[in-house]
Amino acid sequence: MAAYTSHVEGDGRTGLSDLTAAVGERFGSAVSPMPAGHGYVLTLSLAQLSSLPSLCRFLFLDRGCQFGGMIAEEHSSQWQLHYAFLLPGSGWIDVLLSLPIETTTVPSIVAEVNAADWHEREVEDMFGIHFEGHPRLGDFILHDQIWCEGIEPMRKKFSATEPAPGRQLDLEWKPQLIVADPGSFAMPVGPVYEGGLGESVHFLLETVGEDVIRALPRLFYNYRAVEKIAEGRSVSDVLLLAERFAATSAFAHSLAFCQAVETIHSVEAPARAAHLRILIGELERLRHHAGAIAAICESTALAVSTAHAAIIEEELLRASCVFTGHRYLFGLNVPGGLSSDFDAEQCRKLLVSVDKAEKDLRILENRLRYSSSFLDRLEDVGVVDGKSARYLNLVGPIGRASAQHCDLRGACPYSGYEGYVFDIPYETEGDGFARLRVLFAEATQSVKLIHQAIDALEPGAICVPCEGGYPGAALGWAEAPRGAALHWVSLDEKGLVERYHAITPSFSNWHGFHEAAEDFAFQDFPIILATFGLSATECDR
Amino acid sequence: MASVTGASLVLFFLACAGGILLSALSGRKRAPLVIAIVGTLSSLLMVLAAATVLVTGQSYEASLWTLDGFGRLTLRLDALSSIFLLAAGIVYFSVSIFVRNFINDQLDEAYPTHRYGVLYFALMASVVLILVASDAPLFLICWECMSILCFLLLNYDLRRQSDKAAGYIMLAMSEAGFLAVVVAFLVLGRTATDLSFSALSAAAAGLSPQALWSVFLLGFFGFGVKAGLVPVNFWLPRSYTAASPIFIPVFAGVTLNLGFYGILRLNADLIHTGYGTGVLALVVGSITALVGILYATTDNDMKTMLAHSSIENAGIIVAGLGAFLIYRASGHPVAAAIALSAALYHMLNHSIYKTLLFQGTAYVEAETGTRDMDQLGGLSRLLPGLSIIFLVGCLAISAVPPFNGFVSEWMTLQALLRSAVLSSTSVRIVFALCGASLALTAALAVTCFVKVYAMSFLGFRRGTWEPRLNARAGTRFSLGFLAAVCLLLGTLPTYVLPVLNRTVEPLAGASVTTSLVQPFFTANAENGQLPAPFLQDFHNLGAQSGKGLLPGRGLVVLLRGLEANPVVFAMSPSYSFVALALLLLLAWFVVTRLTRRRAVARRALWAGGIPRLLPQMTYTATGFSNPVRVVFQAIFQPNITEDTRQTVAVHFRTAIHRQREETHVVDRLFLQPVGAATRWIAGFLAGMHHGRLNAYVTYVLAFFLLILFLYRGT
Amino acid sequence: MSFWFWHGLRRGIQSTGYPRKAEVAPGISPGRPVNTEFETSGEAQSAAAICPVDAIIAHGSSTFVDQGKCVHCQRCRLSISLPMNWDAGYEWTRLPAKQTECATLPSSFSKSMHVMVVDAGDCGACLHEVKQLNNPLYNMHRLGFFFTATPRTADLLLIVGPVSENMRGPLLKTWEAMPTTSRVMAVGSCAITGGVFGRSFMCAGGASSVLPVDFEVPGNPPPPLAILHGLLVATGRKSVTKNELVSEGRS
Repeated sequence: MAAYTSHVEGDGRTGLSDLTAAVGERFGSAVSPMPAGHGYVLTLSLAQLSSLPSLCRFLFLDRGCQFGGMIAEEHSSQWQLHYAFLLPGSGWIDVLLSLPIETTTVPSIVAEVNAADWHEREVEDMFGIHFEGHPRLGDFILHDQIWCEGIEPMRKKFSATEPAPGRQLDLEWKPQLIVADPGSFAMPVGPVYEGGLGESVHFLLETVGEDVIRALPRLFYNYRAVEKIAEGRSVSDVLLLAERFAATSAFAHSLAFCQAVETIHSVEAPARAAHLRILIGELERLRHHAGAIAAICESTALAVSTAHAAIIEEELLRASCVFTGHRYLFGLNVPGGLSSDFDAEQCRKLLVSVDKAEKDLRILENRLRYSSSFLDRLEDVGVVDGKSARYLNLVGPIGRASAQHCDLRGACPYSGYEGYVFDIPYETEGDGFARLRVLFAEATQSVKLIHQAIDALEPGAICVPCEGGYPGAALGWAEAPRGAALHWVSLDEKGLVERYHAITPSFSNWHGFHEAAEDFAFQDFPIILATFGLSATECDR
Repeated sequence: MASVTGASLVLFFLACAGGILLSALSGRKRAPLVIAIVGTLSSLLMVLAAATVLVTGQSYEASLWTLDGFGRLTLRLDALSSIFLLAAGIVYFSVSIFVRNFINDQLDEAYPTHRYGVLYFALMASVVLILVASDAPLFLICWECMSILCFLLLNYDLRRQSDKAAGYIMLAMSEAGFLAVVVAFLVLGRTATDLSFSALSAAAAGLSPQALWSVFLLGFFGFGVKAGLVPVNFWLPRSYTAASPIFIPVFAGVTLNLGFYGILRLNADLIHTGYGTGVLALVVGSITALVGILYATTDNDMKTMLAHSSIENAGIIVAGLGAFLIYRASGHPVAAAIALSAALYHMLNHSIYKTLLFQGTAYVEAETGTRDMDQLGGLSRLLPGLSIIFLVGCLAISAVPPFNGFVSEWMTLQALLRSAVLSSTSVRIVFALCGASLALTAALAVTCFVKVYAMSFLGFRRGTWEPRLNARAGTRFSLGFLAAVCLLLGTLPTYVLPVLNRTVEPLAGASVTTSLVQPFFTANAENGQLPAPFLQDFHNLGAQSGKGLLPGRGLVVLLRGLEANPVVFAMSPSYSFVALALLLLLAWFVVTRLTRRRAVARRALWAGGIPRLLPQMTYTATGFSNPVRVVFQAIFQPNITEDTRQTVAVHFRTAIHRQREETHVVDRLFLQPVGAATRWIAGFLAGMHHGRLNAYVTYVLAFFLLILFLYRGT
Repeated sequence: MSFWFWHGLRRGIQSTGYPRKAEVAPGISPGRPVNTEFETSGEAQSAAAICPVDAIIAHGSSTFVDQGKCVHCQRCRLSISLPMNWDAGYEWTRLPAKQTECATLPSSFSKSMHVMVVDAGDCGACLHEVKQLNNPLYNMHRLGFFFTATPRTADLLLIVGPVSENMRGPLLKTWEAMPTTSRVMAVGSCAITGGVFGRSFMCAGGASSVLPVDFEVPGNPPPPLAILHGLLVATGRKSVTKNELVSEGRS
């Protein structure tokens, strides 16, 4: 039913069986396919390390799979590394690497799949596994200025509550600068900038004055070790963390988390809850996009349009609060469904607000399209071409502005999106204006989806109990407002969380940010930043 | 008083001779002291000789011997020569003190100091002889001596090949200019009774306009080479950069001025041309100023930057001279007098602050081992004394009151604004354009020297150099003396202008004193030129108040508009200085009173919350001036010679290399085409030298037939 | 481009009347649980048990809410048969537990205050609500409040987030760069007690463990008007809420 058209020929099942056959033919006994499970449609278990890069290359380049992310798990006797690939139209493929616990070195796949860059750096920083062939390990989440090497906080032996050992400020630390232009220097921005209204990110703009040659973001100032402190807690406690590590897309993240838990328990949310989840998820997307549009207007200093968009956003926040009781949609998702139900009158009121927001957004879009000084500042600014977007694996509206069609709602539907009719808008220019157009178009689609969800509501239960099924692990996913969000949850025998890992769209897109921020004029920097609309806290966790 | 002048000149030449002898006889150790003592003494004699002429207004004349075929060699120190002699004396005074502390650092065993001393005094004598020569042969002989001595001093201690090339380019250009000047004098001398300047001047009155034009162009080219005018100044930045720091102030403060002296003497004093020549000088001057300051702003080598800045200042001076020529030719002697006094004032100022800045640069280089502004930074904490003196130099050259650059640039711009009196619209348009260009130049000059001071003295130390910190008392005295002169010339223009008037009046035909430096404002007969109600207004404003306090004329430099429109452009650096000082004092007093009870909390530098702001994270000189480079891209036309991006693991950028190359606009538009044309002609001629006898016989025959054809009638 | 001008004029003034008159538009605040009297101690115990962050303390049949801990999970409203009493207001600013004196800024700041915000590991919600104060609907400029880009001119340090270890240094640097008269305000339960992130090797568990805090605005996140109330309290134009009795309730 979905209007989404996969660029992989054939339907999902044949695509998957094709792939299985091709892998068997190409890799033989080195790769053993295993049946679906843990939220994956296919698990490819690798017998030896050496075929990892070639298998990843085969999936990513030859078969057109999307790279989802990488999940490392420490078990008592072995490491498990999951490389998640998405076969559009079919589902998630798990490339599984099981290694003895003594293993310290794994071949890097960054030459084949550049998008794995930050994932490998994170695993190196957190677990101490060295990735051979990765040129830039170290100094990632644990900043070298403050933390010594070898702390490896995600290891089981590390206690989250005790202060980390051997920590001190290294004043001699110098960033690695790569621009060799006579007279170049690195202009530091942040982590406290814009009067603190910007999130805590530090940028080094390598420049020769007017022209910035390269901008390098330095993140993880907001790292709160969400995944570490989740370990050993109950599901309902970790749900609070999943909801609150990135509040501007709280509902999408809690949804992905709940879906992972539901997969472990082998339950499915009731139909009414599924439709309501879509309704609230799209409400969150609409609100987020209104806010992102306001930020873009603000970056170009077009005051009236900023005010207009900001009012739309605040009205949607208020509508969310009236509808659900919380402005940021906290406390709604629970494993098995939703925590509260909504009657027809509430839905009707919500529709009035949403329709008003859509009307206002349309007025804004029409006006902006005729504001030449505004367009001048956005067009050809922060360009990411389709090829780069593909190898950097840009997701969400940013990816879709650079001709990356992938949207989990269509490519790997969840919560019943397959029953909805909607478009996935995309653009090919990859500049700031294309990203703005995608935001407007998606907002329109979200309103359409909210209408469909309300029409589809049937009376019924909104929650089913989640019991049993553990120990177990599963992947849950959702298309958050900023793009694909993947949550990996693993429960131990007592039903407590053993490993929790969130792969967020901002993590994927911050990695690709440097591609847009090359060779630009200094005054365009806030605009590039705003059109990317990234969240540092969503990336940092 | 003429006897004082004569005596000082004689003593000066004796001192120079003594200096040459003593330098030659003394060893490496003693020679710096000889240069310092004898140099200081002889420069004081120069100042004395110049001062007596300027104060009394009496020229000094002396005849030397007669040379066969050249006539009598005569010396004449008139007011025009004196003003240049005064500038040279002040510069030499400072340089001689400065040299003592630096010379042994700069010269090693292979280039002994005493030989340097010989050349130093020889150059000093030849410069003074050029200024006092009153006939063409002596003038030309001394000019040639000066050129060769400059070359020898420039190439004295050169080790690098490129620096040698700079010396040869300078020598070649000097010789080309010299030949042009010789031809100019020959054209003048064709109808003259002898080759003395007075005879040449008399002969020039009878020359046709075409001949005058050719004399003007030859002289303007010949002296323009020395004065650093576009497009024949490409030797200047090269040789200034190559010159050793002990010699470069002489270059910038003395020999550059000889170019202006030549232009004034030959093109303004000996001949009187129409206003076309003035327009040429004005346009060339304005373009030179703009080109000079653009390259000064973007260059990061302090010395090269100052060289380009000298070009800029030369442009401003020549623009003033151009305005003077136009006003004189079109019968506005008062305007002409203002323009000329502006030009001379600027010449004097430039000699002083440029000497100061070059010596400051030498000091910086000696302390840090580098002149690259990208590498420097933070010097104000290392060298607080030098920092203040250098700041004075920067403010003066950026035309910021209360220093001397402001007075002369203000007067130059005012002189250009007076073009309203001219009748020709097209010339008025040229004036307007040149005025706008000079205003842009002045603005860029501020940018340029903000950059120099901020990037070298403020902020962090960006390079890897280590400070050496060896204090030099004499150096500080020399620099402090120049800074004091900058302040005096900037605050007391009303005392300087009457002195300049001695020079200006005979050339312009009008006195600048009455029109430019007013007596104290009062409605009495002294100010017959101004309407009485207007004077009364000024009187009521208190313009009379300084009369009892200070001797001399009123402290207001003033320019008047037309009779129909008596707009007054007035300023008084002296009053402003006093007011500025009082305001600062008052502000300091008020601030200390108000904050007496407040605790002052000193906090670390705010840098966005990062642990430490590294020197690599602060603006470099290149970064500071890059906006200028971007805006004037059409002139700079930078060439990106290298733009490589290295990656590992397919996508990881490990290095971005970028290298720019700029060809100076004069090199690009003048030197390279001329060079290419010369090579082409040489190649063509070489093609004729193929050594075949038959062809030579054919050439001879053809030439013979041509001659027969040409002289067929006779 | 002139249509933007007319567009702006046509919309008229949208700003709230607060603090002159109470703002009553729906959805401006999620509200919060308040101290509740139940019939039996069992009901009170079950209300305390459902709170995931121990913000509800049962004492006999009464429950007390430690607002600094409450993370607005809504479980004591939605997932319980007898919900807690609910306060729909937004004037929540309070003083830190051990502080009795209200450290308002000197009176010269009462009409103009510059605020420096530091995101010290915030989830984005509090920071977003702080940004909403610039929204025309709240428009804090009309009250003389401004965000400032440099701590040198700041009068109030507004901290959001539980103070992550990587932000501890920048936060202290910001505080050190501020004038000595400045006050510190912790906004959101994370900045007050660490919220859901608590205290760990990566989290300081609230701003008060790093800096002396003068004002606290509880909430997760506190809505814009609650933060605006905090700013008014800091300048002495509003007083802190008195009805919080957690410490007494516990004893």
